[in-house]
Amino acid sequence: MATRVLTKGGVLVGLCRLRQPRLVTAGYSLSGQFYATAAAAVNTAPLITEKTDVTDKILNIPLQTPDFFRLSELFSLQDLFDARVHLGHKKGCRHRLMEPYLFGCRLDQDIIDLDQTVEHLQSALNFTAHIAYRGGIILFISRRRQFGHLVESMARDCGEYAHARYWQGGLLTNAPIQYGPGVRLPDLIVFLSTLNNVFQQHVGIRDAAKMNIPTVGVVDSNCNPSLVTYPVPGNDDTPAAMELYCRLFKTVVNRAKDKRRQMELLHGQSATAPTASSL
Amino acid sequence: MAALCKVVSGFRNGTRLFPERVIYVRQSLHSTDSGEPPRGESATLKKKRGFAAAYDQHTDLQQKQHPTSVRLRSTRDVKSFASLLRHSPLLQMGPAKDKIVIGKIFHIIKDDLYIDFGGKFHCVCKRPTVDGERYQRGIKVRLRLEDLELTSRFLGANTDTTLLEADAFLLGLFDVKDTKT
Repeated sequence: MATRVLTKGGVLVGLCRLRQPRLVTAGYSLSGQFYATAAAAVNTAPLITEKTDVTDKILNIPLQTPDFFRLSELFSLQDLFDARVHLGHKKGCRHRLMEPYLFGCRLDQDIIDLDQTVEHLQSALNFTAHIAYRGGIILFISRRRQFGHLVESMARDCGEYAHARYWQGGLLTNAPIQYGPGVRLPDLIVFLSTLNNVFQQHVGIRDAAKMNIPTVGVVDSNCNPSLVTYPVPGNDDTPAAMELYCRLFKTVVNRAKDKRRQMELLHGQSATAPTASSL
Repeated sequence: MAALCKVVSGFRNGTRLFPERVIYVRQSLHSTDSGEPPRGESATLKKKRGFAAAYDQHTDLQQKQHPTSVRLRSTRDVKSFASLLRHSPLLQMGPAKDKIVIGKIFHIIKDDLYIDFGGKFHCVCKRPTVDGERYQRGIKVRLRLEDLELTSRFLGANTDTTLLEADAFLLGLFDVKDTKT
C-alpha cells in the first residue's frame, strides 16, 4: 500500500511539472483537485479521428427504433406456454414480492402471468441484444446442477461467458486482487436461476448491484425479484423452459453480433473487433 | 417494478398486446428495407388510439394474404393466456391425486427412473421387478400421480421446503394398442 502511494505521488509530481502551464491557465485547480485535473489531462491525450463519427452513427442508429433487432418474432406466448414457463411453485413457497407477477393460484400451485412475462422477456432480450451489439461482456450464471452443462455450452456457442460452479465470495467485489489488476468485469449478468442450491438468493445478484452491473434474471415464484434490473417472471425448474431461455439468449446474442458486423461493413469502417474503446 | 406492473395492468384492461406487436413488426420491416429509422410513419402509427387502433387491427386480421411468416403468427396467435390456461390438460385434470397420466423416461441412474409427465417437475420411480429390462430412455409409462410437487412447511421456517420433484406411482409400460381397442 505504501509503495503504491509513493508511486502515485511520484507520477503526480512528474505530471504536475509537465502540465504546469495548463494547470495555471485552469485557474480553479485547487490542491485537492490536482488528482482530477491531472487524470483528465492524461485521458484527453488520444486524438479525435474521423472514425468516431462513424462509430457514433453505428452506436446511435439502433437506439432510434424500439425493436431494432426484431426480437418480437423470436418467441410468442404459445411458445412460452408449451415450454411450461407459466408453472410456479406451491403456494407455501411463494415469495411476497412475486405476487404482482402471478396470474393466480390453482389447487395450491402458483401460475405466473404470461402476458407480463412476454413483455418482461421482450425488454430483457432487447437489452441483452444492445449490450452484445456494443461489444459488452455477458456472463450467464446458474447454480442448478441439472442445467449446468446446458448453460455452459450455450455460452460457448454464442461466444460469451458462463459461471455454473461455486461462486467465490470476492469474484466481482474483489476482482483486482483475486484475478490481477486491470481485470474487466462483465457488462451484463444473466441469471438463468436466481437461487443457489440452498434456496437462498445467489450472491451474484447482490454483488452485481454493488458493482453497478445490470442483471437480467429468470425469477420463479419463490425468488426475490427486487435487486434484478430486468426480472423475467418464469419457470426455472423444467428442462423445456430452460432450453427455451438458452435458445433465446443464444439467438439474441448471435443476432446482435452479426448485426454489428453488418453495420460496420455497411458504414465503411474497417472490421475491427469491438473493444472497450467502442463503448 | 411496481410502476411497470401498474402500467401493464392498464394495458391488459384495454386493448391487448396485438396492436403494439403489429406496430413493432411494421417498423422492423421498414427498418430492414431502408436501413434507416422510418421517419413520419412510426410517429403516426404510435399515435393511433381508440377507433383508429381497432380499425387497424381489424383490417390486418382481414388481410390474410401476406407474404411474411411473422404476419401469419400474429393472426394465428389470437388465443389469450387465460383461454390457453383454461383449456390446458393440467387444469382440465383437476387435483393431481390418483390421476392416471402417461410419462416418458428421460434419465436413468441404475434402478432410478426419472420420468417427465408434463408437469413442472419430474418424478423418480424405482425400476419394477416385472419386465425391468424394458424400461429404457425414451419409453412411455403409465403413472398414478400423488402430488405435483413435494413440499412441506417445517417448524421455524418462513417458507415451505421443496424437494423439486413430483410424486407418482409407476403402474407399468404404456402400450399404444391398449388405447385403440
